[in-house]
Amino acid sequence: MASDSVAVGGSGDARWRLWALLPLLLLVGAVSLFAVAGGSLVGLIGRNAPQPDEFDIRRIEFKQGEIRIRVTNPQRDELTIGTVTVDDAVVPFTLDGPQTLGRLRSSTILIPFDWVEDEPISVGVTSSTGIQTTEAIPAAVETPSASPSSFLGYGIIGFLVGIVPIAVGLLWLPSLRRASPRWLSAFMALTAGLLTFLAVGALSEALQLQAALPSALGGAGLVLLGVAVSYLTLTFLSHRFSSDSRSSGAGLGGLALATLVAIGIGLHNLGEGLAIGSSFALGELALGTFLIVGFMIHNVTEGLGIAAPAAEAERVSKARLAVLTLVAGAPAILGAWIGGFVTSDVLGVVFFAAAAGAAAEVVVEVGRYIVRRTGERLSSPYVLGGFLAGVLVMYATGLFAG
Amino acid sequence: MLGPSVPAPGGPHALDSLLVPPPALPHEPGRVREYTLTAIDKEIEVAQGVRFAAWTYNGTVPGPVIRATEDDVLRVTFVNGGSHPHTIHFHGIHPSNMDGVFEIVEPGDSFVYEFPARPYGMHLYHCHATPLKKHIHKGLYGSFIIDPPKPRKPAQELVMVMNGYDTDGDGENNFYTVNGLAFYYAKYPIRVKRSQTVRIYLANLTEFDLVNSLHLHGDFFRYYPTGSTGQFEYTDTVMQCQGQRGIIEIDFASTGLFMFHAHQSEFAELGWMGFFDVTD
Repeated sequence: MASDSVAVGGSGDARWRLWALLPLLLLVGAVSLFAVAGGSLVGLIGRNAPQPDEFDIRRIEFKQGEIRIRVTNPQRDELTIGTVTVDDAVVPFTLDGPQTLGRLRSSTILIPFDWVEDEPISVGVTSSTGIQTTEAIPAAVETPSASPSSFLGYGIIGFLVGIVPIAVGLLWLPSLRRASPRWLSAFMALTAGLLTFLAVGALSEALQLQAALPSALGGAGLVLLGVAVSYLTLTFLSHRFSSDSRSSGAGLGGLALATLVAIGIGLHNLGEGLAIGSSFALGELALGTFLIVGFMIHNVTEGLGIAAPAAEAERVSKARLAVLTLVAGAPAILGAWIGGFVTSDVLGVVFFAAAAGAAAEVVVEVGRYIVRRTGERLSSPYVLGGFLAGVLVMYATGLFAG
Repeated sequence: MLGPSVPAPGGPHALDSLLVPPPALPHEPGRVREYTLTAIDKEIEVAQGVRFAAWTYNGTVPGPVIRATEDDVLRVTFVNGGSHPHTIHFHGIHPSNMDGVFEIVEPGDSFVYEFPARPYGMHLYHCHATPLKKHIHKGLYGSFIIDPPKPRKPAQELVMVMNGYDTDGDGENNFYTVNGLAFYYAKYPIRVKRSQTVRIYLANLTEFDLVNSLHLHGDFFRYYPTGSTGQFEYTDTVMQCQGQRGIIEIDFASTGLFMFHAHQSEFAELGWMGFFDVTD
């Protein structure tokens, strides 16, 4: 009898599993029905709104005697390039791709043009339906080609704003080791504060960038996706790290937490490198010594953020510190390369959203760590003061990079 | 930009009927001149590769040239084949019930405008249904020439209507043209003879911008504002607000290619630019 009931239960399970397919089949049916007869539904309600017919101007490059505009069709319907204007004047152009773009297809518009160095310029692409998409560039500067020297240049920028300050910040490690638990909790809270600052900054950057994207590219949803994926990935990683160390009876160790912080900061630096690289390439940023120094000062505090949890670990090898520095700092180099040579605002949105998610997750881990390991409550003045100090320090040093 | 490589819509004879007016007829008071204008909604290519959902008289922007001699009786049958109420408002001297302001012609209806043609000069007509700005910038306008009782001296006669198109509806023109097609006369220069006076009937129907202008390269001309008196200015640049018009007479001193364009550089580079090809 017992075996019977198991068998009945089993076939019942199978039936209910099959049943689970029913909604899907119904959905497919409803969708195809609508695809066939949807037009008449539109007829019942009224006319469909026309498509916006706006191009997504992906990238504008200035070469000797030439402007190149990369455009994408972000909408459902086809979009045809009609005329092209530079500073409100119709100009002759050639295309390296199709003139009529299907959904998400791209072409590069090549315009012979004697542009003026360092002066503002605007380009416009008018669709065959007469809708003009314009993009203003604050200052026209020659777009560096992907030469070994420019590759090296962007690499050095990434190195200076990413790796150097983090390595410098990690030098606080020996001093932090000698701090009392209370003060250590204050520094940990400072780490949480500066990561929160980074998360908010990255999120705002991502939202700003997505607002400028054509609506068909999914703006805010893209940001949420980036935040969620990175947050959940780091949650998964931190549980992995803590269960590893739990087998040796410890919980999430200081070094593991330092690694998480480094990953969070690394993702942020990827976005930051991308922003610096693309702004420079597109002439939106005057790349002065002052700006580089500003980012360096700003990012030294990131090194401190990694050093604080690492100070809790019993021993940290120099090699391990070097790895932490690379994890946190090297993405700035990668970002600068991407930004300098292939940037797109879509990538910017994804990177900054990922940075926001990662930083937020690490803030949670740091909070747990403070409670678990330093014995301080989150309401202690050391923790509160440390957190606020972290935000303030980031704000103050951020003014240099502004 | 000059010649076949210029991005301009239309073939080599696309604008002939708008550029060259019908001939002037001798003074014959009381003669009836009949025209039929039909309002038609039509999508037209106004700049290379760019289409504009225009409202037209007889399918073109600007509409056809209407010509009469002073003291003719002008009888214009207006048929509204469009999707909105329209009228025709003529500039000139006529009774109030022929003014195209009160007699709104609904789609499918028609109306006959009848009045004596006067005074002589270069005039224009346009729709006066509201909203006025929309009805004008969509393309409902054209030139209206009244010849003087004593004929003007023979000349190579041309008509130029300056206009603009706001193709994306932001209240600013995206393109500027003469006779409706951007850069058309840069692609197909206007051929004229040096030996004969060139007479241009010029009108401005540009919406949104306060003024438009014509500047001729390499020569001077006589400009008769409205063309209703013998007074002229000797110059190479004239400016008109919307609704202003006049007659230009050029006696070319040399042969060759001479540019003409709006002296608002922006208008010139958005399509209002062309050439005369002067030969012996």
